[in-house]
Amino acid sequence: MITLEKLRYRTVAIEDLRIAPGVTSVIGPNGSGKTTLLKLLAGIALPDTGTVLVDGMSPRNTEIGWVNEFPDRNILFGNAFEEISSPLRFRHIPCTMIEDRVVTCMKSIGITHLATRPMQELSGGEKVLVALAAALVFRPQVLVLDEYDSHLDANRAGEIAHHIRKRSTPYVIHCTQDLEAAALGDVVIFLEKGKVSCAGTPEDVFTSLTGTAFYPLSWRCRV
Amino acid sequence: MEVPGMKVSLARVRAVRGDWSLSAESVFEEGIHLVSGDVGSGKSTLALMLAGLFPPASGTVERQGIASVMIAFQFPEFHVTGPDLERECKSWDVDPASILAAAGLAGRNTASPLDLSRGELKRLILACMLARDYDLLILDEPFSSLDCSEKERLCTALSGRKRGITIIFTHEQAYFPQVDRIWEIQGGVLHDRGRLPSALCRWNHAPAVIKNLIAKGKVPVNISQTDLLEAACRT
Repeated sequence: MITLEKLRYRTVAIEDLRIAPGVTSVIGPNGSGKTTLLKLLAGIALPDTGTVLVDGMSPRNTEIGWVNEFPDRNILFGNAFEEISSPLRFRHIPCTMIEDRVVTCMKSIGITHLATRPMQELSGGEKVLVALAAALVFRPQVLVLDEYDSHLDANRAGEIAHHIRKRSTPYVIHCTQDLEAAALGDVVIFLEKGKVSCAGTPEDVFTSLTGTAFYPLSWRCRV
Repeated sequence: MEVPGMKVSLARVRAVRGDWSLSAESVFEEGIHLVSGDVGSGKSTLALMLAGLFPPASGTVERQGIASVMIAFQFPEFHVTGPDLERECKSWDVDPASILAAAGLAGRNTASPLDLSRGELKRLILACMLARDYDLLILDEPFSSLDCSEKERLCTALSGRKRGITIIFTHEQAYFPQVDRIWEIQGGVLHDRGRLPSALCRWNHAPAVIKNLIAKGKVPVNISQTDLLEAACRT
């Protein structure tokens, strides 16, 4: 269980939130604190007060995979292979094992053709797919994805969501502006002005958002 | 004397990178155009070529009757030139007070654009851009990172463009303005799927909601949310 208690950081104020293993979708207006919350969950930011614990441990003592909402801010190395290898190299995995794991990971995401392409020449969607591979290659306990799907076409986003689900990463927490994708999570958290307005099953949360712009189109059309 | 209409013509245009290529033989006339395609299919490359920022390997891109061109990059951070929101607005020669209010950023004049969330930055750049009038407006993934309310607002603003050529490159699945023509990049070629509503039946990248409506014989007149809901409620 991920627990957040008496949390205060910048605009985010959360008294008590528990996130069970599975896929959690975070939604809310621009500037509502989604990215800030994800950074706290990833251990990139530390709360001013309160705690964030992943199965009783600080996120900084947990294996976290992270994809930034700005595709270029994920990039450290020159080409896709180097980029995806880097988390394994930083963990001192033997070089003989790295190539196998990187190739397997690239295959599973369908990006082997990008291996030697310079990162700066990739499209926005391709950069995100490389960042996702780099986040998955060391098999994290928590995968935190900040609007990775906003750069992907619907088919590819669906394939990737299916792939992530299949990998059985204990905790996947993603924020998205695609409400149809959010509705496929086990849990949805709706943030407003830094606070959790509603959290629960997609049915519960979206029912509470009926009549707002945050109600999925397919639910409105019911076709 | 008759004034020639605005148009952008692509004649035997080809962009090449390694074993990837994109070909286009098309004319974009006045109205709102929507272009879709898979990740890496060349949407951004085509957007840059239309804006005159990327030369094709062969063929020509010709603009006729167009005096002003603007492109909204997929990454809003590429547009930033001001150290704070006030000066960012002034760099676009627009009034900071009204733009920041329109973008939901009133009172944040001294904040750095790069400290905004991606959605907020996108809102700011689009508000600056749409405060001015361009003959050719090219929008590369304008909806990405915007929340649903902002997507609705953007659709209204784009539908309000009464003149000129607007070309929207997007993966968006739920929010669209009413568009005049749909295009699609497939197999390395830009395909013209035609005018609405007949284009919808030929649109391979159509959102699932639209495909489901068509399968039930409820072809929407256009693709705005109002059009989709009207089709869904049709008996």
